[in-house]
Amino acid sequence: MPSNEVLEEVVRTENIDIDAALDPAEPDGVFRDSRECAALALQSGGTNLLLSPPTPRPKKG
Amino acid sequence: MSVEGVGEAALGWVWAHRDDFALGDDALAADGQVNRTWKPLGELTRVCASVSLCTPPAGPLHARARDLLDFAWQQTHRGELFGLMQSLEPFATYPLEIYAAFASAGFRSPGYEASAAVVARTRGWRLTEQYPTRRLGVLEAERHSGIRPHGSAAQALDRTWLGGLPEPWTFERAAGYALTHVVFHVTDWGLAPRGVPPGLADYLPHWLPPWLDTCLEARMWDLSCELLAVAASLPRPPEPAVLDDAWQRLATAQDSSGAVPEEGAAQDAAGADAGPDPYDFADCYHSTLMTVFAAALTAARQRDADHAGQHAGQHAGQGVPG
Amino acid sequence: MEQSSTSALLQGTVLDLASDVVSALRSGDHVRAGSTLTAGGAGEGVARAAVRVLGADALLPSVLLRVSPAPGQLAVFKDAVAAHPPRADAAPAVVWSHWAMARTLRRLEHPLTGPDAAEPAAEPGADWLDAAGWQTLTHQLAVLAPLALPGEECAVTRAARRRPVDVARGFVRAVRRRDWQQAAGAGRWLTLLDGVPDTLGLEAGLDFVRLMGGSDPRVVLQLEAARLMPAAVLL
Repeated sequence: MPSNEVLEEVVRTENIDIDAALDPAEPDGVFRDSRECAALALQSGGTNLLLSPPTPRPKKG
Repeated sequence: MSVEGVGEAALGWVWAHRDDFALGDDALAADGQVNRTWKPLGELTRVCASVSLCTPPAGPLHARARDLLDFAWQQTHRGELFGLMQSLEPFATYPLEIYAAFASAGFRSPGYEASAAVVARTRGWRLTEQYPTRRLGVLEAERHSGIRPHGSAAQALDRTWLGGLPEPWTFERAAGYALTHVVFHVTDWGLAPRGVPPGLADYLPHWLPPWLDTCLEARMWDLSCELLAVAASLPRPPEPAVLDDAWQRLATAQDSSGAVPEEGAAQDAAGADAGPDPYDFADCYHSTLMTVFAAALTAARQRDADHAGQHAGQHAGQGVPG
Repeated sequence: MEQSSTSALLQGTVLDLASDVVSALRSGDHVRAGSTLTAGGAGEGVARAAVRVLGADALLPSVLLRVSPAPGQLAVFKDAVAAHPPRADAAPAVVWSHWAMARTLRRLEHPLTGPDAAEPAAEPGADWLDAAGWQTLTHQLAVLAPLALPGEECAVTRAARRRPVDVARGFVRAVRRRDWQQAAGAGRWLTLLDGVPDTLGLEAGLDFVRLMGGSDPRVVLQLEAARLMPAAVLL
C-alpha cells in the first residue's frame, strides 16, 4: 500500500484508542466463594453440625 | 502507623469492650448460643495468651493482655465453669479447646483436667467426626491440658487442606481459614515457628503473598489478619515488602476506635460518618483480636531479627521494633 | 458515541482474529488465520488496528508451526506495524508490543520496507519490570504474552526468567481474581520458565483457566500457545 494511503487510514482510525487496548488496566477482581449445601449434611438444618466452621473462626451473618 | 501501633490501637478497642466478652447467664443454658458466649471469650483468651507470651513485659501490649487474661479467667469462675460444662456436655470438644488456651498461659484447673481425661480415653471421643483441622486443634488442646493426645498430629495434619499441599490457586475463604488454623496449631499459636514441617515451610512463603493480596483486595480483613499471623509464624517469613504492603493496606481498614471490621460489607453498612463506634461487636471483635494477634507476632519476629542482627555484630539499635 | 462504537467494532474484530489464530494453531492450517482479514467484514483501518492489538500473536501459527504466512496476512501485519508506531510518550508495554511485531517480521525474513526496517530496531529497556512488584510484573508480562516464545531472547524474557516465583504468584492472583486473560498469559510464560514451584500445579491450572475462561478466544489463544510451547522450536 502506498504510504499516503496508509496515512489516510491512520487519520481515519485515529479515534480508535489503540493504546488503551495495548496496555489495558486490570479489571476489578471478582470474588465469590464456593458454598456447601446443607441438604448434603447428615443432620437436620437446625443442628447444622457438619457445616459449622472450625473454631475459632468468625461467625458469618 | 507502625505494626505495633496498629496492634496497640486494636487492643485498646478490645479493652474498652471487654464486657462484651463476658459470659452471661446463657453460657450454661441448653439453648444458649455457644458461638456468642464461649467462642468470643475463648478467642480473647487464645489471643491474649499468645500475646502475653511473645511480648516483652515492658512493652505496650503485655500488661493489658495479662489483665485481659485475668478478666477472662474470672469469667470462668477461675476455671470452675469448665467442670460444670463437662458435666452438662461431656463429649463437647470446645470447652477443652478453650481451657487449653488458659492452660497455655498458666491458668489451670486440675480437677477439670482429670475429668476431661476420663472422657478422652473413650473410643467415642477418639472417633468424633470432625474436620481434620479441628481434629488437629483438639489434639493440641489435649496436649496443653495434660491429657495424652488421642491420635497422631502428623496424621491429622496430612488430612488437612494445607497438609496436602494443594494447588495455591484453589484457595478460597474456607480453605483459608482451615490453613491458618493448621499453622496456628502446629506452631502453638505462633510461638514455635519450628513446628512448621519443612514441606509447609517452603510452600507457605511462596503462596501467602497472592492469598494476602487478594483477601485484602476483597476487603476480607479478618482472613487477611490471620494470614499475616501465619506469615509471622513461619521459620522463614515472606519478603518484607510483601508484609509492609499488607500492613499498610490493613491499617486503612482500622477505625479510629481501633476496631478492624471483619469484611468490607461491615464498612459499607456503617457508611462514611458512622460515629465513634461504628461496628457491632459481632462484626468486628474477631478481626480486631486477630489484628492484635498478627501485630504482636510480627513485632516479635522483628525483635528476633534485630536480635539476630546484633549478635551478628551489626548495629541494630536497641532492638526496638518499628 | 462514535468512539465507543468504533471501540466495540475493534474489540469484536480482535476477538474474531484471535479465533482465527486459535483455529490455525489447532489445525496447523495457517491460511485460516487470515479469514477475518480477507472476509472484508471489518474496514481496513479497523482490521489493521485489530492486528496491532493482537500483536505478534497474529502470526503465531507461522512462528510456532514453522509455516510461511499467507501473503495477504503478512501484508496486513506489515501495514499494522507501519500504521501504529508507538507515540513518543507511549507506555513500555505499547513500545514492546510494537517491537515484538517488528521482531516477528524480521524473524519471518520479510523485513519491513522503510528506512529503519533493514536494521533490527533498538531493543527498548525493561527497567520498569525490574522495578515492578510481582502483581504489576505479571500483569505486564501477560499483556506482553506474544513475547513468551521458546528461545526468545530480549530484556522482557530475561526479566521474566529472573522471577519465576513472582510470575507464579501472579498466576495465582489472576485466577483468584477471575482475570482469565491475565491467568492465561501468565500461564504461557510459566511454561517457559525454570524455577516455578511444583506446588503451583500449572498443568491443572491451565486446564482450569480453559474451563473457566475458555469462552474468550484471547484466553484460548494463550492456552493453545502454552500447549504448543514445549514442543515448538523457534523459527
